[in-house]
Amino acid sequence: MISSRIAAAGLLWTALLVGDGANAFPVDGDQTTLPPRTELNEDALDKPREVFRSETSGGKSYLISLGNLAFSSPSILGGVARQAGISCATCHVNGGGNAKFFMPKMSTRPGNFDTTGPLFNPNADNFMLDPVRIPSLRGARYLAPYGVDGRMPSLRDFVRNVIVNEFSGPEPSAAIVDAIVAYIQDIDFLANPNLGPAGRLVGKISERERRGEALFKKPFPHDPQLSCAGCHAPSGAFTDHQQHDVGSGGLFKTPTLRNADFNAPYFHDGRYDSYDQVVAHFDRVFSLGLSDGDRKDLVAYLTAIGDGAQPYEREGAGASLKEVDDFASVLAVAIPAGDKETVSLAVDTIGSELRELTERYPDRKNTSVSGGEQQRTIARAVLKDVVLILRRIDIAVAEGRSDDAMAEFKSYRQLMVAAVPSLLAAAEPWSLFNPVVHDSHYQALREVMQSRHLSH
Amino acid sequence: MAACAALVGLCICGRASANPLDDGAERYRSITIESIGQALDGARALRDRVAANDLAGARQAWIAARAGWERSEVFTAGLAPELDALIDAWPNATSGFHTVEARLFGAGNIDVGPDADALVAHLDELHHRLHSMRLPAQGLLAGTVRLAYEVGESKADGGESRISGTSLDDMRNNVVGIGLAYQTIFAEQLRATDPARAAIVADRIARLKAVVAVSDLPHVDVRRLRQASEELAVALQDAAGKLSLQRPTLEAQAQ
Repeated sequence: MISSRIAAAGLLWTALLVGDGANAFPVDGDQTTLPPRTELNEDALDKPREVFRSETSGGKSYLISLGNLAFSSPSILGGVARQAGISCATCHVNGGGNAKFFMPKMSTRPGNFDTTGPLFNPNADNFMLDPVRIPSLRGARYLAPYGVDGRMPSLRDFVRNVIVNEFSGPEPSAAIVDAIVAYIQDIDFLANPNLGPAGRLVGKISERERRGEALFKKPFPHDPQLSCAGCHAPSGAFTDHQQHDVGSGGLFKTPTLRNADFNAPYFHDGRYDSYDQVVAHFDRVFSLGLSDGDRKDLVAYLTAIGDGAQPYEREGAGASLKEVDDFASVLAVAIPAGDKETVSLAVDTIGSELRELTERYPDRKNTSVSGGEQQRTIARAVLKDVVLILRRIDIAVAEGRSDDAMAEFKSYRQLMVAAVPSLLAAAEPWSLFNPVVHDSHYQALREVMQSRHLSH
Repeated sequence: MAACAALVGLCICGRASANPLDDGAERYRSITIESIGQALDGARALRDRVAANDLAGARQAWIAARAGWERSEVFTAGLAPELDALIDAWPNATSGFHTVEARLFGAGNIDVGPDADALVAHLDELHHRLHSMRLPAQGLLAGTVRLAYEVGESKADGGESRISGTSLDDMRNNVVGIGLAYQTIFAEQLRATDPARAAIVADRIARLKAVVAVSDLPHVDVRRLRQASEELAVALQDAAGKLSLQRPTLEAQAQ
């Protein structure tokens, strides 16, 4: 028996930073939950780096960790998403976006998704293919109102709407919605050393960037009351929180330009790949009369203000275990409280993460990987052990045996503190975290799956 | 008369070992031979259909062979790891079920003669070995626990046999294999030592069976599947002590 989700989702490995144009069959076959050829990009080796406000103020609260857990759990969503293992984090990877996400019949290009399409909630289907860009959630607490059209002033209402209406989930408890909101509000912008007070460029600024800044603030020649900075207010996270018609087909909310270098594709429907295309659009629609140099200056300025420190981080067991550790902190509260629902949510979500992590260490039947068989086997075994310890916790809490559950939780903690990290580290050279092994593995899978399409 | 009955009893018990689990494992031997025999028959039919250039027949034979194999996964990985790796290797193996699957069901290419020959040879060797292979109860419990855990993997992408579209059959046959192994080797002894735990294991197997008793793969409730699989693995692990066995690890060769 082979696994499955990782194997499938990662059939195409393309870097988040730059697409390599390879063909992908991430989800394939006649019996998949999602449309064949859906690309979730779950196996990208580089993932958006997540920065939390709470990390600079004493650590994450229980509420934030619970929100992070729920955000990563398919079980809060409805049937199709749950079956497919889709969670909020599938699209908003580490609170960022997912520029490679593509779902046939629900996307028109990578990075957008139709939230009113037929797949996840037929009752919400508007019978139009009108996908919207998958946004980054960095700095979301500064970015009300919510939705591409800014229709929802409340993040809380927006989150509930996504769960219940867009993804047909059961009515979430108030505690879960509050927790998800707390988590989202904790996701910070990446620091940008180019930006000073009131959104001014500081530090070593190029002449092109300086000229771009001036152009950004300059009134439009035919509409002097307008300027780029008029909507993308530098003093306010480069947004005015208003809806505008910029010739893209309706009224849409002004997006932030902070960390926008990593938020492509651009515009409400993700129609543009680059700042060059965005600037060309405004030049055309508002008759700005920009020269080639002007356009380059504006792009240089946008790039400077849209920057962020360390936007991506390399996937590894350490990052996965850190996230799992955050999730598991919820159990320390929920087990003594006998909170069966939260314990089940945590066991389910952490267990899924650990099963996924297990498949990063290929089993001995995997012909695309050689070497380190013993290390891989031991890594897989210990991760599976941990999954079953979690299941024991779930069973014990369900049966009202909180003391037994806490004893199991202690075992879990002991394993996760030292043994698991060291055993995974020992196996890492032969794991899918090694780019060479990763590429070999997915290339082999891709070739096998290609055979399926030779006769079709 | 009493002496005669005692003698009969002695005769009957004369083939039994001191450990009732060993008796169960011996009874299980015939099941292993039958299951791998089914896989072997299917592989031979596959070879014949390939020789006859009969794609539909070859596919049918592959599916039949696969059913026997999946029921045997309780013991194949633990007791014959090198043959297991040859027969069930993936993704880009040069022989074995998945290589044949990709060609027959993917490309619609019936040019799998050498692969079918290799499959027959490997299954034949395993079938032959099973007649004399030692069947330790500890290893068989470990194999049962591991398979119970593996059935819980997500199949959202189409599962193990996604090219042939038979992943749900794989899962059902895995569960049948788990049930056969448990009932034949361990159930009686566990009922004797801990009836409550035996009832839990039986209930867990029934639940897992119910989860996979659906019309098609997308209708398998993945959350319930995982829960049922892990609860069964836990129940079997917990039964180990009552069977005077060690708690099994979850990967072969990681004892």
